[in-house]
Parts: sequence; C-alpha cells; structure tokens
Amino acid sequence: MISAYILIMIQPGKTDKAIKEMRRIDNVAKISIIAGEYDIVVRAQVKNLEELLAVTDDIQMIEGVTKTTTQIIEKEISLQ
Amino acid sequence: MIIRKKYLFYILAITSSFIAAAVTAIDSYVGGQPAFKYDPWAFAFSLFFVGAIITMIITMVLSIPLRGSSLGAKLLDPSFKRIRFVQKKEIKTHLIAGIMNAINTIGYCAIISQVQDPSVILSFSQIVILYLLLMESITDKDVPTLVEVQSSVIVTFGAILASISLTGEFLLVPILIVFLVVNPTWAIFSIYQRKLKLMKIRNRPNDSLNIRFWNVVFSCLFTAIILFFYDFFFSQQHLVSGVLSSLDPHYFILLAATMGTTFISYVLYIRALGMWKASVNNAIRASTIIFAIPFSLLMLHLGLLTEFSTDPVMLVIKIMGMILIVMGIVSFALTLVKAYIFITVKPGYRLKDTMNKLWDIRGVSHVTVTGGKYDFIVKVSTRTLLKGYERIIRRLDEIDGIKKYHWESVLKDWEKI
Repeated sequence: MISAYILIMIQPGKTDKAIKEMRRIDNVAKISIIAGEYDIVVRAQVKNLEELLAVTDDIQMIEGVTKTTTQIIEKEISLQ
Repeated sequence: MIIRKKYLFYILAITSSFIAAAVTAIDSYVGGQPAFKYDPWAFAFSLFFVGAIITMIITMVLSIPLRGSSLGAKLLDPSFKRIRFVQKKEIKTHLIAGIMNAINTIGYCAIISQVQDPSVILSFSQIVILYLLLMESITDKDVPTLVEVQSSVIVTFGAILASISLTGEFLLVPILIVFLVVNPTWAIFSIYQRKLKLMKIRNRPNDSLNIRFWNVVFSCLFTAIILFFYDFFFSQQHLVSGVLSSLDPHYFILLAATMGTTFISYVLYIRALGMWKASVNNAIRASTIIFAIPFSLLMLHLGLLTEFSTDPVMLVIKIMGMILIVMGIVSFALTLVKAYIFITVKPGYRLKDTMNKLWDIRGVSHVTVTGGKYDFIVKVSTRTLLKGYERIIRRLDEIDGIKKYHWESVLKDWEKI
C-alpha cells in the first residue's frame, strides 16, 4: 500500500465546490482545508503508483485547482 | 464514505453511550432475577461466561464475507476482517486489560453485596475521568491542557450530580472500594483497550470486534480464577452457582441479551478510543446517565422497575448535573487546533534521528518522511495556538537538522470511514 499527501492550491472562491468533488474520488482517505501556502491537503491511499497517478489526475481535472505537489510517504509514525 | 472525523468520533462515542444506557436498564432487570439478586458474584461470572459464548457467536456471524470485506466491516468497524486468534504482540496488553476488567467487576459486585442502594457510592465512579487525565499525563506524551482539565472536572461533577441518589447509605468501605479498586482498574482497562486499538496487526489497524471478543474471554478467565480462590478460602459456592445459573435456559437468554447489546456498545467505544484519548472518551461516556432516563421510564412503564425518584429537589440536582455534562462535552469539542508542519532538512543529518526528535515533541500525532519538495510532513494537535507555539514551534527550533519549516493550520477536515 502506498500513501501520499497531495498539496493543492485553489483559486479563491472555488474551495467548497472542489472539496465536494474530491470527496467523490476513489482512494482519497482524508481531506483537510488548511491556511497557509497551500489551500487543501489530500491524503491518498493506493495500491500502486498507477492508482496514485489516477488520483492526482482526477484532482487536477477539478475546476479551480491551480497546482498540485505530491509527497509520497516513505516512513510514518503515528498515534493511530 | 468521507465524513468529518470529529463527527465520526462523536457519533461513535455517543451511540456507544446510548446503547450502554440500554444495557444498564437490561442489567438492572437481569441482576434482579432470583439467582443473581443475592449473589452478585455469580452474576458477574455468568455475565462473562455467557458473554464469551455469545460474543464468539456474534463475531463469527460478523465474519461472513460480503462484497470484498465482511459483514462486521460493513456494519461496525471497517478494520475488521474475521474472528482470529490473539497475536503474540497483543497478549500482554490483553492480559492486563482482562485482569483489570475482572477486578473492576469484582469490585463492583463487592459494593453491591455490601450496600442495598449503591447509587450514592457508584456515582463517584465518574471521577475515573480525572484518574485517566492523571495517568495520561504520566504515560502519554500528551499532557492535558487547562481546557481539558476544566472540561473533565465539569463533566465529572455533572455526572456525580446527575447520577446521585440521596436514598442510599454513605459507607466508608464501599467508597474506598470505588476509589482504590473500581476507578483505577477502569482507568487502566480503558488505556489498554486504546493501546490495543492503536496496534497494527498484519499491517492493518487492529479491529474493535476481536479486541472486545478476547477481552471478554480473558475477563471470564480471570473472574473464574479470582472467584475460585475466594470460594476456596471463604468456603463459598459463587463460582458453581454462576456456572449453574448460566446453563439455565431462561437466564442464558437474559444474559445473552445483555452481553450481546454490551458487545455493540463496546465495539463502538473501542473504535472511538482509537480516535481520541481515553479521558475524553470517558467524559463523553458520562452522557450514558442522561440516556438512561428514557430507558428507566420505559422499564417503569413496563412494570420492570418499581422505583423512580420524582422528588423536585432531586430532579433539579439531576438537571443541573446533565447541563454540566453537556457543557463539558461541548467545550471538549470546540477547543482543538490541528495543523500540518511542512519541513525541509539540512544535508548531513540522518532522517531517522530527526524523525525521532520530531516524534518526541508533545502534541505530534503523525510524523511522515516524504519524498518530494518537503522531507517531513508532521501533523500536530494542540488545545490553543499559544500552546502550539510554546510546545511545538520552540522545540522545532531546537532541532539542528531542520533547515526550514512552515505551519499550516487545519481549518476543517474529512476522513474516509
């Protein structure tokens, strides 16, 4: 299983609609609206890089998304 | 389905409390049966004995495969695959949780056997929330903040007021049993159930159905051992009486009904424990007292209960207690700040060392090493931004290997369930 964070920049005023569409994408495990350099962080959980490509592709097709940066998780420690 | 994690947590915790309230009503009816009324020890053993059997049957039914997963995964916990044996890494934690649950139940029975109306005494068991706060501040890296302490105290006192009954006796020994046996064992039990839920079994999150099933099995085993020695030294017959009552078809059905309902309540509670601290979970669990009222009224209507206080003073005290519980729970929910910190590191520093230093910071819930623009993405939770600065940012500044970081506050989030 491969996990990745996709950091997304959105055009002003398009966040709510974009979130609505992201919630429908397969393999999206978590979506957070954030305040800072980026506007949204998506955590994707996929079986292979092919599926990750499909997730980023779907996100980039959403109206208002101006830039995505994908960070593949190599190692993780978490409370949950 | 992707929903807000906060909502999922409250749905799980409050549904669990609601079902627990139903269990309390069924328990009071079953406990009043002739075989158990004057022998709470036999009742405790029978609950676990029949509970182990019925829990195994339910878990096996929920293991039926369904569209790529299992019935249990669809209905109760997505992490559940099928009933399984305890794994080596879980055994120690299960043994501790089992023995704590057994001692807790025995302590509860000891109180019931000494006091006719134990409600005055048992209302002090709500102080367990404060025990948990203390234990978590020692064992976890997450020291409670002032808001958590305030909210917990509000819920605790609210729960005491809402559950108190002035008709009972106030005796020293049962009170000591609550403070020295019932509360500490429940607190340790909750912490170890959470530990189990946070474990990864075969690279998957541990599931609450198997955790509950094995907890009932171990609790049954330890209760039997404790009762065996008790009976042996005091020439009693509680264990035999418990086994015989369990085998009676009438009692078996009643015990199976109460333990089957308890199973669902605990599965949801354990899932909620995996999402937030045991102290917060137990604070929300105090809402059981509020949910118990409609069930008590229903039992009264059906003639299964004979007493229900309608004294105006008592009602006012109880309403005050309920308001405090709700206020405490709401203040828990509204005061949590979450953030991502994106970090780049300097060359010449091992990522593993920096990862461990980041993990040691209080409030850090996830540390991920990532490939791409950033070397680390860290997720943090704090009660206030000031604490975030004092506890997290200051500590980040002290880590040599960090070249640059930036904090991005989470405004709203959703999670797949």
